[in-house]
Amino acid sequence: MLETLATNLRHLGNWTINVIWKMGFATRFLWSIVLHSAPLITRPGLVIREIYFAGVLSLIIIMVSGLFVGMVLGLQGYTTLVRFGSAEALGSLVALSLLRELGPVLAALLFASRSGSAMTAEIGLMKATEQLDAMAVMAVDPIARVIAPRFWAGIFSLPILTALFNVMGIFGGYYIGVIMIGLDEGAYWSQMQNAVDLHEDVFNGMIKSVFFGVAVTLIAVFEGYDAEPTAAGVSSATTRTVVTSALVILAMDFVLTAFMF
Amino acid sequence: MMDAAEQPFIDIRKVAFAYGERPILKDINLSIPKGKLIAIMGGSGCGKTTLLRLLSGQQQPQKGEVIVNGQHVEKMNHQELFKFRRSMGMLFQFGALFTDLSVFDNIAFPLRENTHLPEDIIRDLVMMKLAAVGLRGTQDMKTAELSGGMARRVALARAMALDPDLMLYDEPFTGLDPISLGVIAHLIKKLNHALGTTAIMVTHDIHHSLQLADHVYFMARGAIIASGTPDEVLNSRDPWVQQFVKGAADGPVQFAYPATSSVAHDFGLSSHHA
Repeated sequence: MLETLATNLRHLGNWTINVIWKMGFATRFLWSIVLHSAPLITRPGLVIREIYFAGVLSLIIIMVSGLFVGMVLGLQGYTTLVRFGSAEALGSLVALSLLRELGPVLAALLFASRSGSAMTAEIGLMKATEQLDAMAVMAVDPIARVIAPRFWAGIFSLPILTALFNVMGIFGGYYIGVIMIGLDEGAYWSQMQNAVDLHEDVFNGMIKSVFFGVAVTLIAVFEGYDAEPTAAGVSSATTRTVVTSALVILAMDFVLTAFMF
Repeated sequence: MMDAAEQPFIDIRKVAFAYGERPILKDINLSIPKGKLIAIMGGSGCGKTTLLRLLSGQQQPQKGEVIVNGQHVEKMNHQELFKFRRSMGMLFQFGALFTDLSVFDNIAFPLRENTHLPEDIIRDLVMMKLAAVGLRGTQDMKTAELSGGMARRVALARAMALDPDLMLYDEPFTGLDPISLGVIAHLIKKLNHALGTTAIMVTHDIHHSLQLADHVYFMARGAIIASGTPDEVLNSRDPWVQQFVKGAADGPVQFAYPATSSVAHDFGLSSHHA
């Protein structure tokens, strides 16, 4: 009995030390990325290439998902609002839900699954096949050449993807509400225009997505860099990226929402 | 192997290294003159690759000094280390080619990153290196299209792109067919002779080591246990060297892992007595 308790305590202690160690390593890693971010200005081509892979190639999934989320919001919103006789408020409901919460959170979750996991797997495999070592031995710092461009590409891409997600969602809501159900088009847009505040809603949503971009991309590049250089190691690092990103996004969303609204 | 007046190009003094609590290298001493091709031999896990990592500054020794061309590698800061590495090439065991780049871009990589040469000069240099490794015409191929032997040759062309003073080869012959192996061996020797590059080759391959190297060192349990010229090695009576040269399972180096349980126990035959 006592021995089981001691073993569990030891495991807890070990886990805590590991978590703290990893957070410390991640912080030093972030600092190192910032210090090696000169290529952002001197060689923008490196970042643009990564924006293509992380951002442009995510456009389809982000835009299609945005459209469907907007359509679902249109349907669910209408069936609820019509009970209270305020179906005209559908435009504001769709826009506010998307701009404040669903847009930043869902776009970040999709980005973590689509681009974050790809970054981790790519960096992890580069490590496993000694490509990062080979680069360092050729006097090229892998943090500056591989990690920093991906990190900044993620931070630039996610807010833009979020904005596109929102736009597609608003059109999805419009399609269901106005075209399919037959609500007044003017009411949809004017209600939205009245309810949405540029600073309060649009900017705050964008700020959220910048925070999510930093978190998701840092987790993705860190897990790749820290991956055990084996097939199983890269696979579990990729899983960790998706799981940790999802948890961090949702927890961060709660904290940011509490501060912002 | 060295004149008293001659300064060694590589001088490793009393180096010790451990991963955590596990000692890998204990008190290693090596002196290598400029322009020589050295083979370091030993069983798997004896610390050969770690020695290369110390020389390239990828790891720092816990004790001792690693001096290359008069510079203390173990004391270098980040900038000094990267400057030092521009005069060094390393061939990795499996080539470590960049999979997202073509053959041409792989070889051009160190030139583009470390020099300000115009693109047409880089093109000429890459073509020369490709021709030197016998792979003219493969420049547009993706690395996935290359065979193991071709990939190793591309990696060799990339490692020598900046005409290094020091070349490190990590198991250059592993997993190659006899023809690729012969070509790589020939290239290593040619590079060493033509450019006067000092080279350290870590390998299991006794046949090619004795054929190519000016001097051979044998490592076991983190220390250098024997050394000599290829002729001295072949005629050596040292039981360690004999075992390596003959590839015998019995000898001072134990082939079998020192198991703590008995064979009878492994097969469940001693349970009655337990």
